[in-house]
Amino acid sequence: MFGQKLLPWDYGVRNLFRRPSRSALTLVGLTIVVLLVLVVVGFIRGLEKSLAATGNPNVVLVYALSSGADIENSSIPGRTPALLSASVDGVRRQHGVEYVSPELYLGTRITTANMTEPGMGLVRGVTTSAPLVRGKVQLTEGTWPQSGEVMVGRLAHSKLGASQDDLAVGQQVAFDGQTWTISGLFTAAGSAFESEIWAPLAELQTTLKRQDLSLVAVSMDSPDGVADIDLFCRERIDLELKAVSESTYYAAMQKHYKPVRMLGWVVVALVAGSGIFAGLNTMYGAVVGRVRELATLQAIGFRRRAILLTLVQEATLLACAGAIMACVVGIFVVDGAAIRFTMGAFMLTVDSVGIAVACGVAALLGIVGALPPALKAMRLPVVEAIKSI
Amino acid sequence: MPLVEVIDVSKEYANGEETIRPLDGVSLSIEEGDYVSLMGASGSGKSTLLNLIAGIDQATAGEIIVAGTDITKLSRGKLADWRAAHIGYIFQTHNLIPVLTAYENVELPLLLLPMSSGERRKRVEIAMEAVDLTSRATHYPRQMSGGQEQRVGIARAIVANPTVVVADEPTGSLDDETTEQILQLLSRVNEELNMTLLMVTHDADAGARARRRIRLERGRLMENGKELQTAKLHTA
Ligand SMILES: Nc1ncnc2c1ncn2[C@@H]1O[C@H](COP(=O)(O)OP(=O)(O)OP(=O)(O)O)[C@@H](O)[C@H]1O
Ligand SMILES: [Mg+2]
Repeated sequence: MFGQKLLPWDYGVRNLFRRPSRSALTLVGLTIVVLLVLVVVGFIRGLEKSLAATGNPNVVLVYALSSGADIENSSIPGRTPALLSASVDGVRRQHGVEYVSPELYLGTRITTANMTEPGMGLVRGVTTSAPLVRGKVQLTEGTWPQSGEVMVGRLAHSKLGASQDDLAVGQQVAFDGQTWTISGLFTAAGSAFESEIWAPLAELQTTLKRQDLSLVAVSMDSPDGVADIDLFCRERIDLELKAVSESTYYAAMQKHYKPVRMLGWVVVALVAGSGIFAGLNTMYGAVVGRVRELATLQAIGFRRRAILLTLVQEATLLACAGAIMACVVGIFVVDGAAIRFTMGAFMLTVDSVGIAVACGVAALLGIVGALPPALKAMRLPVVEAIKSI
Repeated sequence: MPLVEVIDVSKEYANGEETIRPLDGVSLSIEEGDYVSLMGASGSGKSTLLNLIAGIDQATAGEIIVAGTDITKLSRGKLADWRAAHIGYIFQTHNLIPVLTAYENVELPLLLLPMSSGERRKRVEIAMEAVDLTSRATHYPRQMSGGQEQRVGIARAIVANPTVVVADEPTGSLDDETTEQILQLLSRVNEELNMTLLMVTHDADAGARARRRIRLERGRLMENGKELQTAKLHTA
């Protein structure tokens, strides 16, 4: 019964071509709104991914008690790794190699061959055990850095504000008074490491005239190992160490960025809201010029519900077309676009969540945009509406 | 029993302090197959009466019984369904849907009735033939003349074989020659298709084509110089 009494689907579709330029403009507007939503959701999702991908519950970070949550300010004695492996059981070990990674981590000014101004970059001094503990790190091109060499994460150029070519294998970068040749590129499953530059630890220490470390990352046999290391840190008060699992560390970071994410969602709501007003405006225009026609449909015997439905259909069709265009642009242009951020760079991520939110917003734009003007037109008595011009 | 019975119907409009009462207890019976013209001064309430019978307006008082149904008792939704099945409305300004072709405009009322697509096609073709516009089936309203548009409007009004066809000044915006065409067409609708027709008109010649001529004067209905009494008194 419901299906029998609807207006023809074509009626709604053809009405869109009645004023092609108005429909086209509305379509552009809707596309921009949906695209904005997609960008903001992509930002939130990218940020979440870069933080979430980084934590491994088996890995313990040991750093200075005094440094707060910020590893950059941490300084611990150079002998910490040796003490740890000698004193704590349960450190992961394979083929006689211990999964202990001493690291020196700092933010510093970095210049590339084509840059006039140095950019702020993140440098990590590592030993060959780093990839054992930091398991997601993978060389995609070139080799592990030898003396005078560094390897760069795939988003390091965004963090620096340099071009991708500046940080290609064979190029040179300079920081802390030394020039380094890029030996390789690495990825780290979207995690924060991807915006870093990794150098051999010993050489970095020499360059910086430092003997200390920022942290030690230790891979344990099980997540329970965190407690053992924690105990060690408490007992050796003299070392002033603190232990926290990598996943806890990044969970804290996530919390730290929660206001940013909330702000992102607020922006999504605002953009969607303004989009609804734009949609409303157009639909008012579309309906006002058609009062007599809609009254005629009622006089013929179409119920108001059927007429409302066809108006919503029109608006929703347009909004869906906007959503499709926005998603195409989103997938090919927005997805993977790198964003510089204080803690590193990350990529905008257009994933199923982003697309679902975008389509939801589009549907909302269509329905919420069409209903008020349609209802207003329906409130007018048929006899009056049929006389209007 | 008459096909249409208007019994003591009044229509009032509150206009600030005063009330306008274009219809003041009017009664009218229309038999099946009648062709009734309704004339009267501008503002006398002709359109109001026609719209009440067509079920697109609500009476302030009285009953309107069409083919046994008191339509003043129907809910708005039921009234819409009732219109689809029982009323064919011919407008002065034809009111065709601009984005639909002549064929699709005529087909529109049939979409509201339970009917196979084959049956629908047959009925639309018959209606298009009746108004002699088969060759214009795929044209849009903007591609047709005013007279052709009005013929499509007539085809749309008769296609569902309604109980009553109402027409509010159907020739009001047409030239003499086209008016003549349309009036002949309406006479054929009444005589050949045997449809009951109620036509509001300003044009005395047009009104004279009808078999019954009724005038609306100061809120009362007159036929042959006598006021029409309520149907109940009439039959008693
Ligand atoms: N919505 C309304 N509110 C107030 N008064 C109305 C309304 N609609 C109609 N009227 C009044 O009711 C009276 C009858 O109107 P109606 O349209 O039926 O006249 P008519 O006989 O069809 O006139 P015409 O020949 O000019 O079309 C008029 O005086 C008109 O002003
Ligand atoms: Mg009138």
